[in-house]
Amino acid sequence: MKKKHMSKYFFNIVLVLFSLQMISQNKKSKDTVTILPKTDRYGLRVGVDLFKLSKSIYDNNYKGLELVGDFRVTKKYYLAAEIGNENKTTNDDQLKFTTQGTYLKVGFDYNAHQNWLNLENMIYVGLRFGISSFNQEINTYKVYNPNPFFNEPNTVTVNENFNGLSAQWGEVVAGIKTKLFDNVFVGFSLRGSNLFFNKKPAGFDNLYIPGFNRTYNGNFGVGFNYTVSYFLPVFKKKILPKEKLKK
Amino acid sequence: MKKILLVLIIGFFTFSCEKDDICDANTPTTPRLIIKFYNDADRAKVRSVIDLKITSLVDGVEKAIVFEKTGTEFLNDTIVSLPLKINENLTKYKFIFNSKATNEGLISRDDLTFNYSRKDEFVSRACGFKTLFEMNASNENPIILNNIEGSTNGIWIRGFQINQPKIYNEKETHVKIFF
Repeated sequence: MKKKHMSKYFFNIVLVLFSLQMISQNKKSKDTVTILPKTDRYGLRVGVDLFKLSKSIYDNNYKGLELVGDFRVTKKYYLAAEIGNENKTTNDDQLKFTTQGTYLKVGFDYNAHQNWLNLENMIYVGLRFGISSFNQEINTYKVYNPNPFFNEPNTVTVNENFNGLSAQWGEVVAGIKTKLFDNVFVGFSLRGSNLFFNKKPAGFDNLYIPGFNRTYNGNFGVGFNYTVSYFLPVFKKKILPKEKLKK
Repeated sequence: MKKILLVLIIGFFTFSCEKDDICDANTPTTPRLIIKFYNDADRAKVRSVIDLKITSLVDGVEKAIVFEKTGTEFLNDTIVSLPLKINENLTKYKFIFNSKATNEGLISRDDLTFNYSRKDEFVSRACGFKTLFEMNASNENPIILNNIEGSTNGIWIRGFQINQPKIYNEKETHVKIFF
């Protein structure tokens, strides 16, 4: 139920961001009578994932921080990276365990959105290579006994540590970024990932991987972030309306 | 672009609804001890027990096992699966042969104590761990009849044999009882 509500919440945010963008576009389109040279700004955008930040406050079992950054290299392409650290205690019915580690994701974003005038919005798709280094600790576990004839307790406290674990994965990103004001941007992205290297501990499994999130039976994982970032302009490129010049 | 996003959003929802929180009944978890009954006169032949009642002390009270197949406390079969204690290294059962008999003299009782070592093994997120047992090689008498070390002759039991000391699954017969 909790998850469902959360998804609803983020879906609403996506809708709001879309509509914001459309409103701003409509406004500008009305007053394009004279042709002005378009200026593209290039620079570094750095930000933070608000979801991890807020979850760290309200969820006692979670501490996490993700910093995001992208650098515009061409008109459409951006180098992009995320770096983060997570400390998460998972309390499942049969298992209680804590995962702690650091991750890095590097790749690029492709902006598929055609901006009007000097707008700098993005609707993008991208790829990432992700790597995570982490530790796991089993706090308690339950023995699954389908024939509990003796009514004996089945919870075992172990506090067993597994150090030096790591994982690598590829990630497909789809998201939006829109300018809120000045150089401040907000963004939302969804991620689907596929694990291709997973160093599992002997006698346990990597049920949660920092950066990759929860693992399922296969190699797939999902994630999202909700970012606010600041743009630091480095240089500008003027784009003259080519077609008009030819005539 | 918006269509792609929509597909991804839908994909995200279906992923989060995936159910792997319930332990599948077909997953091998904590095994029971599998005992097969054999004819003492011809030890290669299985023999069906008659109204065998198997009881053990649970929270200070003698409790009988209700057999899955029949839903009763009486076994008329050649094979039985017995749960072992997952927090102790021994489990003691009372085997009551011909327990339905009205004449008390026709009912035979034998006690069997199973000694073993235990280890817990990870299964999955949904199932947690399972306990595996092994009837220890270090223990000279893993199975004790009527509390007498080395005894093989009981009231109705005429002998027993460990067929598979590693109780890791329910596919194998772990103990053979001859009568």
